[in-house]
Amino acid sequence: VTRVETAEADVLVIGGGAAGVWAALKAQEEGARVTMIVKGVLGKSGCSIFASHLPWYDETTEEKKKARLTYAIRYYNHYLTDQHYVIRLGQFVRERFFGELERLGVYWRRDDAGNIVVSKSLVPVCVAHKQGSSGLVIMERLRQEVLRRGIPVMEETCATGLLVEDGTCRGAVAVRLRDGAAVVVTSKAVVLATGHADYLSLRSTGTREQSADGISMAMRAGCELVNMEICWFHATDVSYPRAWMRLHVYPNPLVGTEETSRMYNSAGEVFFEQKRDAPGSSAPYVQQMRRLALQVERGLARWDGGYYSGYTHIDPEVLRAYQHQIGVWNKLGLDVTRDLLECAITWHMRQGGIHLDTRTMMAVGVEGLYVAGGLGGHYLGGLGPATYDGWVAGTMAAEYARRAKKAGATQIGEGELAKREIMRVTGLLQKVGTERPYWPALVKREIRRVMWEEMGFVKSETSIRRASERLGRIRQEMVPRMGLRYLGDRWNFEWVEALDVLSMLDACEATVCGALERKESRGPFYRSDFPYVDNENWLVKLIQDWREGRPSFRKEYYETPFLKPEREREGYFDADY
Amino acid sequence: LMQTTSEEVEAASATVQVRIFRFVPGEDAQPRYESYEVPWAPRMRILDALEWVNEELGAGVAYRWYCGVKKCGLCAVTMNGKPVLACWQAAEREMTIEPLAGLPLIRDLVVDRSDYEERVRRLMPYLVRDGGYEGFPEKLSDTDMRPTEALRDCIQCLVCYAACPVIAVGDRGFVGPAALVKVAESALDPRDGGKRGKLLEREGEISKCVWCYSCQEACPCEIPIVWAAIEPLRRLAAKEAEGVEARRVRSFVRLVTGVGKVVPGLLVVLALGVRRAVSEWWRALVYMLPRGKLAAGAVLRAGVKLWVRGGRPGRARGGCDKV
Repeated sequence: VTRVETAEADVLVIGGGAAGVWAALKAQEEGARVTMIVKGVLGKSGCSIFASHLPWYDETTEEKKKARLTYAIRYYNHYLTDQHYVIRLGQFVRERFFGELERLGVYWRRDDAGNIVVSKSLVPVCVAHKQGSSGLVIMERLRQEVLRRGIPVMEETCATGLLVEDGTCRGAVAVRLRDGAAVVVTSKAVVLATGHADYLSLRSTGTREQSADGISMAMRAGCELVNMEICWFHATDVSYPRAWMRLHVYPNPLVGTEETSRMYNSAGEVFFEQKRDAPGSSAPYVQQMRRLALQVERGLARWDGGYYSGYTHIDPEVLRAYQHQIGVWNKLGLDVTRDLLECAITWHMRQGGIHLDTRTMMAVGVEGLYVAGGLGGHYLGGLGPATYDGWVAGTMAAEYARRAKKAGATQIGEGELAKREIMRVTGLLQKVGTERPYWPALVKREIRRVMWEEMGFVKSETSIRRASERLGRIRQEMVPRMGLRYLGDRWNFEWVEALDVLSMLDACEATVCGALERKESRGPFYRSDFPYVDNENWLVKLIQDWREGRPSFRKEYYETPFLKPEREREGYFDADY
Repeated sequence: LMQTTSEEVEAASATVQVRIFRFVPGEDAQPRYESYEVPWAPRMRILDALEWVNEELGAGVAYRWYCGVKKCGLCAVTMNGKPVLACWQAAEREMTIEPLAGLPLIRDLVVDRSDYEERVRRLMPYLVRDGGYEGFPEKLSDTDMRPTEALRDCIQCLVCYAACPVIAVGDRGFVGPAALVKVAESALDPRDGGKRGKLLEREGEISKCVWCYSCQEACPCEIPIVWAAIEPLRRLAAKEAEGVEARRVRSFVRLVTGVGKVVPGLLVVLALGVRRAVSEWWRALVYMLPRGKLAAGAVLRAGVKLWVRGGRPGRARGGCDKV
């Protein structure tokens, strides 16, 4: 029998990264009583802390303005975004983002004369403290601000389901890891901000707690998903030690220099350098993956290693001053000026996500529910967009809560809805039968294995169908026999992992279904049976609706008011976006 | 440049023996250790071994980690008696893994950080902008920000906290090195106007630091904790602090600058006053004993000198080597 606790708020924010924090701060400024639920630890878990550097908004000339816009729309989002949103976002980042963070104490790195240090690239980037630790220092300041303002935060508390009644969201149910209590938070509005970098493949940048809970909760609440199939890969993450697969040899412009890192195949030949091979893209992951695919084909690299990257050609003084990452070399007893690191690919962040309307600002078709940051399918993501989204969503949610209060919205309290969700969650707290049960950690690993083996960079109808079958078997055969070793209520992470399994399956199935449906290749999404970018038919939002228990699809074309692709159709390996 | 490491050659057959502390307070009568054999992997970290134990053997060990790459700072454990970050520290062929020392236990390797976090919060670990904010970009250079450069790398992993001998002897008055690093990041920022001097002693009991450098040696982020955080904060605390300990520090300074050396008897009188020196005779003794001096003559002589000079600072004689 699980202990149940209740709490009440005007606005409930789920997620403790940049989007969640800004939603909470803004909602509070608008007069709302705010509560936060964070699966990990506020400002310490999730992918916001991984932010390395930020695009520097130098728009002093038309040329620079165009370069930035091209980067955001073409190279970063492969035209799969609302271009009006991109313009608004740019304006926000330029005018508010840097200043708001600086006001809180974030130090945008300067030189001794006081000028902000940037990379000498077409689209310059800047850093907070050092390249590779910007997210860390930013999130630390944001964490302090939330605590200073006295916003209640439930940390290491896993939200499991949204309370939705008559198409209106009224709160959420969560499980507190520390003591196993089920927490029912009733609220007038909810902001969902659980991020986009989930740990869904054996090698992944996603961190431990990132198991697509937000996707699963939104699906069950009746939200639509969009472009779920488009997932980014990193080509230059550390191959081993395994824990360090989330560490990156940055291929991006490096601050303080015009140089960029190089990739070497097993024969020692340089096969990629951003400055040379993708000058317009300061996040050149897609181009890296294409070049790596050619090396793999030639037998000079493997997806899981056998190729290298490093900064050996770059002025060591610049590296020491601005690169956080040289600590990796030092810890391994290597010399950053001489040694290269072996690399391997990782499954990185999801471009798609929850379908939200960028015109009506973060609304998702469920009353009182707003989505912010990477969880949305409207933009690839980053600290700037996460901040902007959180800012808007927090403001909108507070406004909605105010109206709902005036209208005298009824509280559902510990109503039927919450009870049903608690039953579902506690149902997983069981030891199963006499046969050897599957531990949740093992099932998670099996899901990741399927995604790594069948949903890697090179996909085809055959591999995608195989992924679908294998995931189906996990759901039908392993999930019913899932059991926990420990049934107590003290920091029962196994219990949370059993919940993770269900969320991961939801998200992976949606990814697989989307991949089967999109009959082209684009950005990081490559199907060897459709090896071309098809702007005529597939410059679309691929929207999935799961309300009937299986996906129904519809397409919505993207408008291209400011930038459009030159060709209707081109070979995937000929395209540069 | 890209040669195979000798580690990789060895890797194929080797294993790691891991002994893990298991305990559910309130449910188990006493802690136990469970042993597991894990295949060795090149450049393996402690976290890799823990993950293997849970994912492949389904051991269900409770431990905390999020990022895996020295960013979240939440996976610190004790390995073979030393506090380390599980994600950052190399695995050893034989490892005993226990929870981080000095913090209450929740389960297995998971410790409770909440009291610690609450104490940090009371020390105002944020930037206090007295004069408002002029707007982006504010006038600031890298030279201005150099005092806090190393401190910005701190991830609050509490490895230093567990390495601190003052914490180890059970003194919970002292807030510990990690908190001081966090506070120093704002307190030493040229833009900060916060008044933390009194807080540092009242809430943090900073004067209890014994200058042993254990924190500095243990820090996985290689932060010179004593030099960059504790020393400057103690200067700040001494300037503004109140209470007996603070008066002792100030009297110490007055003696050194005025007399040229520390005169234990006089230190007692200046720091405690005559009445208190008698009623708290044990404290007076503590102040004097370490130096083994109880010379009334010396007290008198120094007292006269101090009176003659009017206690003016800056007239030190003999220099610091005598202190």
